[in-house]
Amino acid sequence: MKNHIESKLASQQVYVTKNKKNIWLKIWQHRVFYLFLLPGIVWFFIFSYIPMYGITIAFKDFNFVKGILGSPWAGLKYFEQFFNYYQAGEIIRNTIIISLMKLIIGFPMPIILALMLNEVRVAKFKRTVQTISYLPHFISWVVVVTLMQRILSPYGGPINELIAVLGLDKIQFLGNLNYFYQLIIGSDIWKGVGWGAIIYLAAISGVDPQLYEAAKMDGANRFRQMWHVTLPSISGVMVILFILACGGIMSAGYEQLLLLNTPSTASIGTVLDVYVIKAGLEQGRFSYATAVGLFQGIIGLILIISANRISKKVNGTSLW
Amino acid sequence: MSGRKWSIFSIINYALLALFAFSTLYPFIYILAYSLSDGVAAMKYPIYFLPKGFTFENYIQIFQDTKFLEAYKITIFRTVIGTALHVFLSALFAYALTKKTLPGRTFFTFFIFIPTLFGGGMIPTFVLFRELGLINSFWVYVIPFLYNFFNIIVLRTFFQQLPNSLEESAKIDGCGDFKVFMKIILPLSTPVLATIGLFIGVFHWNDWFTGTYFVTNKDLLPVQTLLNDLLSQSIAQADAAKNASQTGTSIGLQSVAQTTPESLRMATLMVATLPILCVYPFMQKYFVKGVMIGSVKG
Repeated sequence: MKNHIESKLASQQVYVTKNKKNIWLKIWQHRVFYLFLLPGIVWFFIFSYIPMYGITIAFKDFNFVKGILGSPWAGLKYFEQFFNYYQAGEIIRNTIIISLMKLIIGFPMPIILALMLNEVRVAKFKRTVQTISYLPHFISWVVVVTLMQRILSPYGGPINELIAVLGLDKIQFLGNLNYFYQLIIGSDIWKGVGWGAIIYLAAISGVDPQLYEAAKMDGANRFRQMWHVTLPSISGVMVILFILACGGIMSAGYEQLLLLNTPSTASIGTVLDVYVIKAGLEQGRFSYATAVGLFQGIIGLILIISANRISKKVNGTSLW
Repeated sequence: MSGRKWSIFSIINYALLALFAFSTLYPFIYILAYSLSDGVAAMKYPIYFLPKGFTFENYIQIFQDTKFLEAYKITIFRTVIGTALHVFLSALFAYALTKKTLPGRTFFTFFIFIPTLFGGGMIPTFVLFRELGLINSFWVYVIPFLYNFFNIIVLRTFFQQLPNSLEESAKIDGCGDFKVFMKIILPLSTPVLATIGLFIGVFHWNDWFTGTYFVTNKDLLPVQTLLNDLLSQSIAQADAAKNASQTGTSIGLQSVAQTTPESLRMATLMVATLPILCVYPFMQKYFVKGVMIGSVKG
């Protein structure tokens, strides 16, 4: 009760004077809220900002005994090592190819699914398809890859059995250079398309029905209504999500690629994230792996900032 | 259907969506059938929709495996503890951010936003975990995942639209800020708490990476990491089988039991996935809204 009266008095004072002096009073008034924030501030400091400082590992000859501070400086040695590595170009190229393909083929898919679902008038059918479409989002990549391995197996997998029934030769899909990209992109879409469509469906449900009425009056059929009303109405959401996706071009999805990439596909399937994990966590080359990771992070940051700038200029939509 | 005209456009649309739904669902039907099959029979005859030699033997076997049971316990523990702590702490944080008069509010929002653009990366994180003694500890599954920028924003957006008057009247009745949060805000926020709980719960249930790279103690591995081990083993086995078939011997088929490594793997996969598959349809009405709330602020 005492607290309450105090804070009420204080807020009145703030209201009346609004002086700079009162900042301390205001802070005191909100002390409980700072207590609410405290664990989070400490957590973000430790788990987000200390690793940023940890990037100095890339410029040091890091070893665990000496710690980050005690390890001697190494300059740009590890960056040079990476760029002189004969497969560095290949790894960068793989990363860009895989994420660009995911972006170009994968990005429109949820939009298409949302538009298709929007045309469904039978509510029960729509709900069923939607519920099923979310399903893959809720399972792990390990499960997806295990599923793929079983379904596509040349030893009794249903796809290959079907191929055999048709009188064709069985195909070893996984670990095959000819099918690697198709499987990467395909499984990525399979896992994410339903979930990705939610946000577009939400945006579509917010479109003013009068716009459709007007379009109908002008003689637009269902397809033209979709093209001239629905699509422009959700373009804002599309741009935001596209900017976010652009930031990810340098990271091609490490979980999926750690699991699907095998020695036989390494030449086209090794991407930066996976290389960082292999070199760092598996081979213990900490400084080198940090340098590669930093290179990747900086390019990602540049990409997302430029995408944001460009979209701000072109149509006024931006993340910040 | 009720006299509605079916244009070609509609027919194609419905057909494509049905095909899409089928191709999403089919792998699960197939795995379920495989996991309920006699393992040896499943190797000999192709399965499409129905089990061959229906049996629960695969499930009985994995539930008798102490390694699996331990892993299942770890998965359940980390999911429950990790989800409860994440939801509670993030809600506290988000609630404080809704106070427009709070000095430093913008700063705190930026403080948690910046890490979404740029982070230290995998190796500095690993080094930090080691320094903190998190490697090979159960808490490596919980503590690094206590907060997340996007979840905080979703919670904040939801709290912002709760009527202010409720809070004021509770304060007049003598509630402190913490009591208001516990007694008024949390009970009113079930939909958004359920959404965030589902998001983070699914993450905890499915995370295999932490167990694979940050834990070497075999007693601390979660089910998904176990499944990952089975996956890499089976890739090795497939190679071995290929070699064996070239040299003329057959492996796996001579086992007396009804199970095979493959049928056990399929049963493990089902058990590792089923709880999530049973939960999400019931949460659907929440998370669809939750994603929308999150999207408003981008």
